[in-house]
Amino acid sequence: MWEEERDAGTGVDDELLAVLGYKVKSSEMEDVADKLEQLGMFMDAAPNIFCDTVHYNPSDLYGWVQSMLSELNNPPNTILDPMLQGQQIDDPLLAPAEFSSVPTLGFLNSHKQRQIDTTYSSRIYNDDSEYDLRAIPGSAAYPQTQDRESNRKRLKTSSRSNSAPPLLPSSPQPAGDAAAGTVSEPSRPIVLADSQETGVRLVHTLMACAEAVQQENLKLADALVKQVGLLAASQAGAMKKVATYFAQALGSRIYRIYPQDCLDASYSDMLQMHFYETCPYLKFAHFTANQAILEAFATASRVHVIDFGLKQGMQWPALIQALALKPGGPPAFRLTGIGPPQPDNKDALQQVGCKLAELAERIGVEFQFRGFVTNSLADIDPSMLDILPPEEEAVAVNSVFELHPLLARPGAIDKVLSSIKAMKPKIVAVVEQEANHNGPVFMDRFTEALHYYSSLFDSLEGSALVPPTQDLMFSEEYLGRQICNVVASEGTDRVERHETLTQWRTRMGSSGFEPVHLGSNAFKQASMLLALFAGGDGYRVDENNGCLMLGWHTRPLIATSAWQLIATDSS
Amino acid sequence: MIMVGHRPRPSPPHEAMQQKKAEDTDQKRPKFFINDHVDILIEILKHLDGPSLCVASCVCRLWCTIARNDSLWEHLCFRHVSSPAPSTVRPVVVALGGYKRLYMVCVRPVLSRLGHSDRVRRRVWTREVVQLSLSLFCVDYYERRLGDASASSLMFLCKPVNV
Repeated sequence: MWEEERDAGTGVDDELLAVLGYKVKSSEMEDVADKLEQLGMFMDAAPNIFCDTVHYNPSDLYGWVQSMLSELNNPPNTILDPMLQGQQIDDPLLAPAEFSSVPTLGFLNSHKQRQIDTTYSSRIYNDDSEYDLRAIPGSAAYPQTQDRESNRKRLKTSSRSNSAPPLLPSSPQPAGDAAAGTVSEPSRPIVLADSQETGVRLVHTLMACAEAVQQENLKLADALVKQVGLLAASQAGAMKKVATYFAQALGSRIYRIYPQDCLDASYSDMLQMHFYETCPYLKFAHFTANQAILEAFATASRVHVIDFGLKQGMQWPALIQALALKPGGPPAFRLTGIGPPQPDNKDALQQVGCKLAELAERIGVEFQFRGFVTNSLADIDPSMLDILPPEEEAVAVNSVFELHPLLARPGAIDKVLSSIKAMKPKIVAVVEQEANHNGPVFMDRFTEALHYYSSLFDSLEGSALVPPTQDLMFSEEYLGRQICNVVASEGTDRVERHETLTQWRTRMGSSGFEPVHLGSNAFKQASMLLALFAGGDGYRVDENNGCLMLGWHTRPLIATSAWQLIATDSS
Repeated sequence: MIMVGHRPRPSPPHEAMQQKKAEDTDQKRPKFFINDHVDILIEILKHLDGPSLCVASCVCRLWCTIARNDSLWEHLCFRHVSSPAPSTVRPVVVALGGYKRLYMVCVRPVLSRLGHSDRVRRRVWTREVVQLSLSLFCVDYYERRLGDASASSLMFLCKPVNV
């Protein structure tokens, strides 16, 4: 329809518009429509900002819309990413100021390549690439400017915990009314209308940005990552947080400011503690691994557990207590804890060992502890660990999320697996993330990670309190760091090289291990544990060929498996 | 809640008993007074649920002393369990803080949560519930010893369930 009007000559239309009372030229209408679109996006994000402004002459559509938009140059900080404040991610990336430039949404629905409105943005972006963003499926679904359907915000239908009321009326409003604040006053300071369309667009923009990064088209990637930031600001809940973290990670990658790999071990331990408390993943991991170990220790009188990542030792109190209640009395329990070096040469491992020893003494279990500090598991030699022969002592090896970092260095995983074999363990308990974040192609890793962490954040949202607790924020940061590592780092820095259960099965099988099925006890305990969590209906325990997987709705997220050495004829 | 013939009074029961005895001898009609029969009282209190037991402990000093007795809470913890708990359990629980604490901190929230959940059915309320509660209890004890003032590994039990 626009085409017709343009072809028919603009003089006639100008007169018609003037008769109706609008002081605007028809040649400007497309521009005005674009700007109204942009305004619409921001009005539901922050309707308050228009309350104090006085607008003159609303019939001069073009001028009025321009003045409204120029105010958006300095929007209040609350619209934009609150997540950036108070976060301790070291990469500088996109400072909040970057998000305040006027949106480049006009870009998306232009019928021709054109420059972004330079009047309002602080920097001029020359788009001389041939990349036509209309090729993005989401934009193809983006309606024509005169189609007011796009202004109708729909209630979100996904399983988010908060639902936002529709704010804008569906019919087009004359410019004057919009300024008068027909938008209802929100009860919360930030009102975010969660538009399904914006969500789809957000995902597509993220993917397009990753694609651009993979193709080394950094200018385009830069523009897209800013788009993501703006789109994310209009989202709510889990989607917003995930998009923000991914945008930051992409920014890191684009600007080549790779975050330093896990700096302070005690800080990341603290983050993991909060993650432990907020959601059931780590508790599930501990309980199921303990069950496997307990069943393997059924007949032993001396037991030795080697923990590849001791951290705060939260897994072991439950095992010590279960050993104390074993019919026939508790066995003698020896624990070897391995951990990274701490700042200030603090002996964190020994402190944890002392606390565990105190607990063991209280409940009557003979206990011994030894700690090993090392940067990499591959540096541990079995002879250092004083392993007793299997007749005297039953050995268990425990690894919760500690095997995948070894994949960053060639040869490390094989060395560690052969070390494990040399320890002659009765059982090896392995817990890993159920995702393939280690593919050779960046785009594949990115897509996988996007889906995986969306599910994770969704589950956090499902069990969250309002207002969000500090626990929740630290848990999110814990996950955010992983996202950053998966997306932005490369080479030996990229340690979050998650692989799926199938991949680990192949690896363990070819290294000389055979699976041990986790029993129904473990399954029952895990189900019961999950039923205790608020939002517990979203969590699911699934059994997969003897392994247990914990997932959120239909998506499995972590998997516990148990292994033993393949029995050879000579033994 | 079971009502027995007892008049709650702020004055010590001894005085009340004496007063009552005086009245009784006047009327030559023996009345049953529960505080005279502590063993029966204990048996009756064993049938109360947690909240009622707490209320009962506010009645008078004798009832308060009895209600603090950990064996009552032990009975409460294992009431739903079909088979009796092995003798090794008691020293462990006592070492970690006692049955009353176990009930308050673990058993009660676990049982009420599982009551809400559709997926875990009643017949599962046997050894596994006890095992789970004990494990969580132990983790809680350990976390408090770690020196964390806001030991909150069991906080998830306190959060309201999205029913």
